[in-house]
Amino acid sequence: MSNDFDPKILAFLCNWCSYAGADLAGVSRMQYPPNIRVIRLMCTGRIDPIFIINALTRGVDGVLIAGCHPGECHYGKGNLYTRRRVLMTKKLLECIGIEPERLHLAWVAASEGPKFAEVVKEFTEETKNLGPNPLATLTREEKGK
Amino acid sequence: MENNFYLAWSPDSKIQEMGSSGGAVTSLLKFALENKMVDAVLAVKKRNNSRFDAVPALITDPDLVHEAAGAMHFAPLNMVKIIKEYLDGAMDMRVAVTCKPCDARAFIELAKRNQVHRENLFLIGLNCSGTFLPTVAEQMIREAYGENPQDLAGEEVDGGKLIITLKDGSTREKDLEELARQGFEMRENCLRCSYKIPRMADIACGKWGNKGNAATFIEICSSKGHEFLEAAVQGGALVMETATDEQIEERKRKETEAVENAQAREKKELDELKGYSSQQRLEYWVGHLNRCIKCFGCRDACPICFCKECYLEPYRGCIPGGETPPDIMFQLIRLSHVADSCVNCGQCQDVCPMEIPLTRLYNFLNREVADIFEYEPGVDINQPPPLTTVTDQELFIDPPDIIYEDASAR
Repeated sequence: MSNDFDPKILAFLCNWCSYAGADLAGVSRMQYPPNIRVIRLMCTGRIDPIFIINALTRGVDGVLIAGCHPGECHYGKGNLYTRRRVLMTKKLLECIGIEPERLHLAWVAASEGPKFAEVVKEFTEETKNLGPNPLATLTREEKGK
Repeated sequence: MENNFYLAWSPDSKIQEMGSSGGAVTSLLKFALENKMVDAVLAVKKRNNSRFDAVPALITDPDLVHEAAGAMHFAPLNMVKIIKEYLDGAMDMRVAVTCKPCDARAFIELAKRNQVHRENLFLIGLNCSGTFLPTVAEQMIREAYGENPQDLAGEEVDGGKLIITLKDGSTREKDLEELARQGFEMRENCLRCSYKIPRMADIACGKWGNKGNAATFIEICSSKGHEFLEAAVQGGALVMETATDEQIEERKRKETEAVENAQAREKKELDELKGYSSQQRLEYWVGHLNRCIKCFGCRDACPICFCKECYLEPYRGCIPGGETPPDIMFQLIRLSHVADSCVNCGQCQDVCPMEIPLTRLYNFLNREVADIFEYEPGVDINQPPPLTTVTDQELFIDPPDIIYEDASAR
C-alpha cells in the first residue's frame, strides 16, 4: 500500500475525559496526524454499533472511540457498555470481511494529553497500513456512484 | 414425584390414535383447557388436511384440540412472533404453546427483554430432530420415494432415516444422507442446530427413549411443568409411569448422537466461512446481500426483532427509501441487532424470496459473539443479554479489549 494514502478517521470522544484530553493535547501544542474528524458525545455509552457500521459503509477508513477508564465514567458504567458493544462490532466486521482493526477503542483520561496524541498517531498509522476501506469502495461501485 | 423422567400416554384410545406417541401432549392440552388452567392453546394444525401446509392455530375449545394432534416434520413455523405480535406477549391471557427448541429459546430471549410474559406461558417443548421445508418435502416424496404427496399420512425421523407412512398403512424408509445426496435436505439451520431437547421449556416431550411403545417420554424441567402434569394425572387425563434407567440411557444416547452430528455439521460450515480471506468474505456477503429486494420479510419473520420504531424504516434516516437493492446497512443493522440473541430458527432464510443465506450470516456471528461473552441465547432465563448488561467486576478490568480477567489467558 502506498504511503501517501491519507485515511479518513472518525473519532467519537467522550465529553468528560477524551475530549478534554484532546483539548489538553492541543493546548500543549502536541503534534498528531490531522486525519481525525471528531464527534463529541456526552458519554461513549451513547454509541450504537449502527453509528460505527454506518460510518464505515459511508466511506471512513477507521473509527476511533475514546472514553474514560473503567470506573471513571461520569455516568458510572457507560464506558463498560461501549466495551461490550465494540467487542461485538469487531466480530461483526470480521464476519462480513472488514478488518476489525479499523475499529479502535482506547481509554484516555482528561489529563492524558500525550496519550491522546499517541493513540491517534498509532491508529492513523495502522489505518494507513490497512489501506482504503474495502466496504466503501465495493458498495459505491455496485451502486455506480 | 421426585424423578423428572416419565413415560406418559393418554387413557383415551381415540386421542392415542391421533397423537404420534400415545397422545400425551394432546391429552394434556385438552385437560388444561377443560380445567381452565390455560385460556388458550397455541399449536400447529394441518390446513385442508395437507401435511405440507401447517398453520398455527389458537384453540380455545377443548373439543378442537385433537385437530392439532400428531407430529409434523414439514412445518417450519415459529410460534413466538404470533404470541408477541398478536396476543400482546400473552400479557393478559394464559397460553399453552407447543414449541420446538428454537421456539422455546426465542421465548426465553423475548422474556428477558420484557416482550412476552413468561409467567403466563406454559411451554410444552417438543423434541425436534429437524424440519424440512414443505416445498422440498413435497418434491422429495414425489421424486425420491415415488409416492403421491397427498397419500402421506405421517412421517418420522429415526436413526438417521426418514420413515414415511402412507394412508394405506404401509411405510417406506430412506436414509437421510442418501436423500441429501439427491438434494433433499432439512433446512440448513436445523442441520446445524444442537438443541434437540428443549430443556428451557416447562416440559420436554418426545419419543426418544420410549422403546417403540406408544408413549411419550417426558422430562419435567420446571415446577410449572410439575404442577400441570400432576394435575393431569390426578384428573385422569394422563397415565404416567417413571422411566427406567435403561430408557433414560437410550434417550441420552440418541440425543448425544444427534447433537454430535449437528456440531460436526456446524463446524464444517462455519470453518468454510472462516477459511475465506476477508476480501473473499466481503465479496461473498456483498454479492448475496445485493440481491436483496427489500421486502422486509426477514425482519417481520424474525422472532427476536422487536423494536417498535425500526431502524430499517426510511424515516429513521439510516436507509434511504425507494431503493433496491437497499443500502448494505439494511442487513448490517439487523445483524447488529440480533447478534447476541439469534436462536438459529431459520425463519429469515425461509421467508427470503431471493434465498439469501441469512441464517448462516447471523448464526456465524452469533457463534463468535457467544464465545466472547460466554452467553448461549435462550437457555437460561436468568442470564441477562450480554449487550445490555455490565457487571461490577468489569469496573476493575482495564484493557479495552477484554471483559473477563481470564479472557487474556485464553
